[in-house]
Amino acid sequence: MTDFLQNCIDGVMFGSGYALLALGFTLVFGVMKRLNLSFGPSIMLGAYAGTWVYLNFSQNVLLVVLVTVMITVAVGIYVERLCFWAVRRDATIASMVSSFVIWMQLEEVAMHLLPERTYPFPAFFTSTVIDIGPFFVRSEHISMFLLTLVLLALLHLFLFRTRPGLAVRAVSDNPLASRYMGINSSNVLFLAFAVVSVLGGLAGFLILSADSQVTPFFGLWATFKGLIAMMLGGMGSLPGAILGGLLLGVVEANAFWYGGPVVRDISAYLLLFMMLIVRPGGLVGQRIVAQQQAAYERV
Amino acid sequence: MLNDYLLTVISNIGMISLIALSAYLLLISGEISFGQQAYFGISAYAGAIATTLWGWPLWLALLFGSSLAALAAGFVGLLTLRISGLYFSIATLAFAEMVRLSLFKLSYQLEIDGELIGPNGAEGFGEIRWIFDNDVSVLEYTLLIYGILLLVLFCLVLIERSRLGMIFRMLGQDPLLTRIQGLNPVRYKVTAAILAGFIAGLGGTLYAHSFTYIEPQIFNVMLGVHALAYGLIGGLGTVLGPLIGVAIDIGFLESVRVFQGYRMIVFGGLVAVMLIFMPRGILDENRVYRLKNLAQRWFRA
Amino acid sequence: MLKVDNIVTRYGAIEALKGLSLEAREGQVTCLLGPNGAGKTTTLFTIAGILNSHSGSITLEKDNLTNLSAPGIVRKGVVLVPENRLIFPQMSVEENLVAGAFARPRKDQPAINADLKGIYERFPPLKERSTQSGGTLSGGEQQMLAIGRALMARPKILMMDEPSLGLAPIIVEKIFDIISLLNKEGVSILLVEQNARMALKVAHHIYLLEGGKVTFNGNPQEMQQDEVIQRAYLGAGST
Repeated sequence: MTDFLQNCIDGVMFGSGYALLALGFTLVFGVMKRLNLSFGPSIMLGAYAGTWVYLNFSQNVLLVVLVTVMITVAVGIYVERLCFWAVRRDATIASMVSSFVIWMQLEEVAMHLLPERTYPFPAFFTSTVIDIGPFFVRSEHISMFLLTLVLLALLHLFLFRTRPGLAVRAVSDNPLASRYMGINSSNVLFLAFAVVSVLGGLAGFLILSADSQVTPFFGLWATFKGLIAMMLGGMGSLPGAILGGLLLGVVEANAFWYGGPVVRDISAYLLLFMMLIVRPGGLVGQRIVAQQQAAYERV
Repeated sequence: MLNDYLLTVISNIGMISLIALSAYLLLISGEISFGQQAYFGISAYAGAIATTLWGWPLWLALLFGSSLAALAAGFVGLLTLRISGLYFSIATLAFAEMVRLSLFKLSYQLEIDGELIGPNGAEGFGEIRWIFDNDVSVLEYTLLIYGILLLVLFCLVLIERSRLGMIFRMLGQDPLLTRIQGLNPVRYKVTAAILAGFIAGLGGTLYAHSFTYIEPQIFNVMLGVHALAYGLIGGLGTVLGPLIGVAIDIGFLESVRVFQGYRMIVFGGLVAVMLIFMPRGILDENRVYRLKNLAQRWFRA
Repeated sequence: MLKVDNIVTRYGAIEALKGLSLEAREGQVTCLLGPNGAGKTTTLFTIAGILNSHSGSITLEKDNLTNLSAPGIVRKGVVLVPENRLIFPQMSVEENLVAGAFARPRKDQPAINADLKGIYERFPPLKERSTQSGGTLSGGEQQMLAIGRALMARPKILMMDEPSLGLAPIIVEKIFDIISLLNKEGVSILLVEQNARMALKVAHHIYLLEGGKVTFNGNPQEMQQDEVIQRAYLGAGST
């Protein structure tokens, strides 16, 4: 029982990172109803740039964060203009494939920047273990969890208290109606990509700091963890993305403890597969999915 | 003139074309699958076990592997009937990853000629010696691959011209319309899934015997997404589309060695720009229609 | 006030509007009537910039609106209340209304807040439900919300596409009461309706569209005197 609870604590901590990635997918998917496969790889390239600065210029971790986020945003905007803004709106598959080939491109750019397979990634604090009763938590997990909470609060403020945030929600709620309101959807798409890239860059930094290393596989990893967490929670739902991320974290932590890495991955995919078959709307349920589907089909 | 390296590239194009065709078949019937690599992998393992461990002839192993793949595809098709769009895509991805990860746990070895042979988890499955045992040259095997590919293409062309192909495309355009026409979309969705599974399966068994070594990592999601991308790059208007996509990626890039180290930077950029102007690929429905008209007029003249 | 001059709009090769001209006068309710496929919605979409016209011109007072972008046209003061209402189902009623003011500049915020209050006074049910999500409202309330949302843009002219569609007769009466009330307060309205009977009650001027062209143009009295139209649109023998 103690083991199980310990795993759940670890899972929630790490799951907060998944939640950030899932939020990125949900926001962008909501606005454009298209899938950006190169979300993870953009973060990976941002992290590579951060590591490159760290290895060659400065040990200042704040600078690494700044470079990581800035490059992630730059790459995110590049992907948005090339694969989504420029491609016809109804060509969903073309956008997806386009974002996939750009993924391959980004990976190669990263390999030119830093050709080895693995690089160290800096963290704000040196890792310590904190005891709480019978349980223990790693300090970098706590900082990841707390920073995630702060980011969630900021995102909430942005989406629910500001005009641009309202525009983002309006476009994802009903693209056609937002057009009648005079909302420029192309600007909103740009904005959503920028916000999501900031979120993704920070998520990438937090996750990689906890791992203390970065590899080119991080792109694939981040894309699919984010996708899985989003689908588990319910596509297009913001609370769903958070819940999905936490659930994924908890399931993985337990499966890893009791069965090892292969079982961890299988159980995550099995959970996802069952969820999609039995309850495609994910944790938050069918209603939102149905509503959005209806709004989408009217377009 | 035709050295072994070149032949390997050519036979590679043929085998990858099969999985690309399988993704294409689902694509025209309106479903995006991220998981065709699962059927490719299932058949690769099953076919290789059949020849190497059980001593079956290749044709029987091919049939066995592909049927098993088709069965799995039909099973997944039935389970995923209620979902479509991105839900379907992610479900196929989840299934394919489960298959790949299960292969890490698959250990089935027999002693043959004093050696333990067979799949063994992450170590993979080596010594698939059918080609050597039967003295098949690279050229002969390449011809075999292309024979099967031609057969599949021929069948797909027949299907496209038949009622079934029309229904597939109709499903791709509008599933509701299909139902209004009095057709049962369920039946045709599962049929498409089974056919696609079988075609991917043919590629899988051929692949295992061509490379003589397979491991779970080969059948990861990258293979599936590539397969999907080929169909779209080549064009969704004709069965030749996926082949063009594969040939461009593998053939063209292998031959233009100047780009070494920068090939994805150049190629990725080119494809992304191309998709802006041709969102349904090089040979899309309109262009195929116009080419056909042109050809007809030319023949008449 | 709003002048549409000889516009041609195409869907691919099909000409939906074949040189259509009309004028909506300040302070009046102008109504477009006509059968399905006559081009009524296409006309509204072309004015709103959702569709581009192939030739012809659209002017509002002195501004040329021809082929401006949809957001640009909203900013000029032409706002559409779309068919089927098209509210934002997951956003709250208040957020729906605020979204309506999106085309207005940021420095307008005090005025926007005042307008929001005004809308609540005009439509008390919306105030009661201001925190509920839009999707939970009834059809009539959603129509009310759609109208309120459009008013938040402070339109010079309000275009309404079939406001009675899919609503119960009692609710339709209410919606038309709202329309005539708005008009009395000075809002110019361009209305598309299938429900000719209701439209005649509020309209000052009527355009009859058929096959992408205006076939009749006059006030309701003139229309009721025309026997052919009488039979086709209002049912023969009725008062």
